[in-house]
Formats: sequence, C-alpha cells, structure tokens
Amino acid sequence: MMMNPDAVEENQEEGNILVWLTGLAFLAAMVAIFIYVPTEQTEGVVQRVMYFHVPSAWLSFFAFFIVFICSILFLWKKEREWDIYAHASAEIGVIFCSLVLITGPIWARPIWGAWWVWDARLTSTLILWIIYVAYLMLRTQSDAGSMRARYAAVLGIVGFLNIPFIHFSVLWWRTFHPPPKVITNEGIGKGMDPTMLATLGISLCAFTLLYFLLMGVRVRQEKLKDEIDRLKREKLYSA
Amino acid sequence: MDNQWFFLAANVVVWGGIIYYVYTIRQRNRALEKDLELLKETLSKEG
Repeated sequence: MMMNPDAVEENQEEGNILVWLTGLAFLAAMVAIFIYVPTEQTEGVVQRVMYFHVPSAWLSFFAFFIVFICSILFLWKKEREWDIYAHASAEIGVIFCSLVLITGPIWARPIWGAWWVWDARLTSTLILWIIYVAYLMLRTQSDAGSMRARYAAVLGIVGFLNIPFIHFSVLWWRTFHPPPKVITNEGIGKGMDPTMLATLGISLCAFTLLYFLLMGVRVRQEKLKDEIDRLKREKLYSA
Repeated sequence: MDNQWFFLAANVVVWGGIIYYVYTIRQRNRALEKDLELLKETLSKEG
C-alpha cells in the first residue's frame, strides 16, 4: 500500500476543513447546552448530561457499525485497507462507549439514587464494551498477520449483533433506563421540547464530525505504520 | 434540584476523555515520525 504524496496533501487540506467544522460544531453545541437550552423542570441541571451521553452512545454505535461493515468487506475482499478502517473505528467506538458508561452513572446517581443498576440496557451496553475491548486486545496480543485480522473481523461482526438488542431492550423489558425520546411511535422528535431536540441535534452533529476527524487521523496513522514496516522489511531483505 | 456538580463531573469526564485520546494519537504520531526519520537517515547513509 504505497502512499501518494499528492493524495497525502489533499487529505491534509480536507483534514484542516474538518478540524474547523468540528471546532465550530462543538462551539455551537456548547452554547446550546450551557446557554440556549432551558433547564428541565424535574431533573434539573444534570439532565444536560444527556447532550453528551446520547451523542457519545450514537457515535460508539456508529463506529461499531463501521467495524461491522469493514470487517465483512475485509473477510470478503481480503484487502488490508478494510482491516485498517475496522481497527481505527473500533478504537474510537471503545473510547466513546467508555464515556457512555461513565456519564450514564453520573446522571443516574442524583436521578435514580444509584450509580448502576443491572437492567437490560446498561448490562448489554457493558457487554458491548467488553466485546470491543477484547477486540482491541486481540489485535495487540496476537501476532501480526492476516489470521489476527481475520479473528478480529469475526469478533467485530459478532459484537455488532448486540447493538439491535441494546436499542430494543428498553422496549422489550421494563428497565430503569428511559425509553427513546427522539424516535417514538408518535413520530421523530415528538417526545421532546423543540429547543432540547435542536440542542441534541447540534451535539449529535458535532460528535459525528469528531468521529470522521478522528477516523481520518487514525487511518492515516495506520497506513504510515504499514509503510514504515514495509520499508523496514525491504531494507532487511536487501541487507 | 442542586445537582450541578454531577453535570460538572460529566463535563470533566467527556472533555478529559476526548483530550486524552487526542493526546495519545499525537504521541503515536510523534513516535511514527521519529521512526520514519530514523529510517530515512539509515537509508541515506547506505545510499
């Protein structure tokens, strides 16, 4: 996988635009969260944690969906490129899933009176986190090569199957976790105040842009690592 | 409800997490750049 210098320059320009867009989106999100959105009457200020918690959850699920797609493509086409995308996305997914598992209890303590309850949504999210931490451990522990990538791809696909279960768990069982408020039976956004919905939308956009920014950097990094390894191997064999 | 400290804690966790992750990415980038420079030096000495 050779890196074209023109393509690298073009990618850097796109990266700079993305940095600015992400920065602006986060600035808008902060203004909305701290100034624009009204304080929820029953939960108080802590309800604003949701504007970080829900986008973090969305980002991690989206990242794991990309792992799922790229893992399938890797097993099918056997191209290293798809493995790089899956690896980078899994790492970002685990970071944001960790934030979900930390911000959730911070919200729950004053609202439920407990940091953690073993209900279906919380437990299945914890299982998802454990699966993808195992995925990253597999990548660092086992020897490099296509077999490692193949095992990781299988785990990446199996892990994603947990996500529909997480989503529907609040509808299938009686859980402590609140039911979906954005997509409800009444329609999209009908279960929320319009200002709260707008704030959540801005925050979701900011987190999604952050995902693409981090993905771009991590993918470039992995490709550079591959290039260095290739040059080292070439030098070793030519010596 | 006086629970703003929980909101502050959540902010610290989210921003701390994101900044720490970006920091680790930068560290890895620096290590790769160092590796690349070393490789270039070795190759230019031989070439």
